[in-house]
Amino acid sequence: MKTKHLLLLFGLVALVQIIVPASMIFKNQEILKNGTVYKFKTAPVDPNNPFVGKYISLNYNLNSFPSTDSIWEGSDKIYLYLTRDQKGFAAIKSVSKVKRNDTKDDFVVAKVNYAFGGKVYFNLPFNTYYMEEGKAYDAEVAYREQQNDTITYPTYALVHIKDGQAVLSDVIIKDIPIKDYVSKK
Amino acid sequence: MSSKILKELPKLVREQVITPETAQAIEHYYQSRPDTKTNSLLTIFGVLGAILVGLGIILIFAHNWDNFPKGVKVFLAFLPLLISQFFTGYAILQKKSAVWKEITGTFLFFSVGTAIALISQIYHIPGDLGNYLFTWTLLCLPLIYLLKSNALALLHLVFTTYYGAVAGYSDGSYPWFYLVFILLFLPHYYQLCKEHAGGNITAVFHWLLPFSFTITLGTFFSSSSQLGFLMYMTLFGLFYNTGKLSFLKAHSLIKNGYLLIGTIGTTILAIVLSSKWFWTNYYFEKDFNYKDFGLLVMLQCAAAGVLWLTVKQQKSYKEVNGFQLIFLVFSGIFLLGLAHSIAGIVLTNLLVLLMGAYMVKIGATRFNFTILNYGLLIITTLIICRFFDTNMSFIIRGLLFILVGAGFFSANYLLLQKTKK
Repeated sequence: MKTKHLLLLFGLVALVQIIVPASMIFKNQEILKNGTVYKFKTAPVDPNNPFVGKYISLNYNLNSFPSTDSIWEGSDKIYLYLTRDQKGFAAIKSVSKVKRNDTKDDFVVAKVNYAFGGKVYFNLPFNTYYMEEGKAYDAEVAYREQQNDTITYPTYALVHIKDGQAVLSDVIIKDIPIKDYVSKK
Repeated sequence: MSSKILKELPKLVREQVITPETAQAIEHYYQSRPDTKTNSLLTIFGVLGAILVGLGIILIFAHNWDNFPKGVKVFLAFLPLLISQFFTGYAILQKKSAVWKEITGTFLFFSVGTAIALISQIYHIPGDLGNYLFTWTLLCLPLIYLLKSNALALLHLVFTTYYGAVAGYSDGSYPWFYLVFILLFLPHYYQLCKEHAGGNITAVFHWLLPFSFTITLGTFFSSSSQLGFLMYMTLFGLFYNTGKLSFLKAHSLIKNGYLLIGTIGTTILAIVLSSKWFWTNYYFEKDFNYKDFGLLVMLQCAAAGVLWLTVKQQKSYKEVNGFQLIFLVFSGIFLLGLAHSIAGIVLTNLLVLLMGAYMVKIGATRFNFTILNYGLLIITTLIICRFFDTNMSFIIRGLLFILVGAGFFSANYLLLQKTKK
């Protein structure tokens, strides 16, 4: 193959290599800018990813919804239509197996865990919050220490939602971002 | 070596062994010939350096610098990517040497991984390792052919296997794209086998490819499948027979990964399957499904096809060795074991014993100590295993061990005497 053609092909490959991470940025920026912000009550624990680093894994209080349907099976998609409770935290208005066209409510797509006792249990997709190495474990400890006071100061995640896509922007503990809270301590 | 010859040239001319013209021609030959040994070393260390630097960058970014604003982090994510793309493009444009292309390509491979990892980190995208490895491998795949790079082909194979294992074993789905990635790697492999049949890098792929299949085969059948062990036995039979094909057989044993993985895999599996536990507990607790059966049939056809090819190449049925047929024999035992578990146990033990004896015979005929001792090792392992799961008296067990020990000594001694003659 001629050098000119080879270079042209390489240029195309290089362009795709740039476009893929760039599109990830644009998609997420768009949701952060124009999405609706919801607060999800959560509890953090700290695991590890070999390539991306330390993060806190978020266990959400919102992990089930009453449903007597027998259609739910593990790993199925579940559409969660959202609302807010009296204190302004995210709550679920309804769930569906398919996308509904009769509502304009914000929704997220989660994965069914299992259905049991008249409830369907699911995992929310935005359960990973990356933190500086060394701070993730401190964040978990900080949460445990203030766990007794979850009514005055509930720990929650700020999640931007648009067209079923969600981007986690921050985790708040005692009214301040968790990374600042850990730094202060 | 060449400098040693060059130093000898004046002496050879003086002694009138060669003419001055011949001396000049020899000198010219060595000066114009590229130093392949130095080039290979430079490539190996250059690629190793690029891998270490690439992994180092990934680890540094994995620290996740909280103090950097998002814009700086995004810039840092793209910086190694753009730098390595520039140098790779430069290597193509200036028609730089293979060493250049191998090193810049390797660095580019890790830069792509860094960029995706860092963007995932910045936007807290959930850590689905399978998806991450898939995107990374896919984005770097064309580079193998654009740069004709063996290092990239090697990284492709390693990361494809990693992806297949994560997607199959952790996420619980069939990693079909693993097969697509392997298929797309095959033209490079074929080219290598054609142009550098005996090369070290080709031998590395002869090891890596069967190793990759061994790791990922388990992702394509149900974990509760009754046929799992038989599928692995057939896979190792396929490897062993592939290793017997003329283009692989012609090279040294260490360069024939198919043959060695096939031999070791078959042996280990046969010893595991010779246990009472397998035939009386495991086998009957598992279930049968037609998907797994379909995969087994495909594997059996492939192994039988390669066996037929080896027979065709050897031109005589007599040259087929017993090890090539083990996967077929075991399939029969497996079917029989469904009805009579005791028959399964007895026949598998007999098969392992025959495998050991056959190896001892081959080792003795070819004066090969490695094969001879491998055969003895199979027999010893079989006896040790039965030591734990049978109710033989201590006297019989003791006598068996003494017999095997004496067998080890006498077989090696006799072979040594034979080779001295």
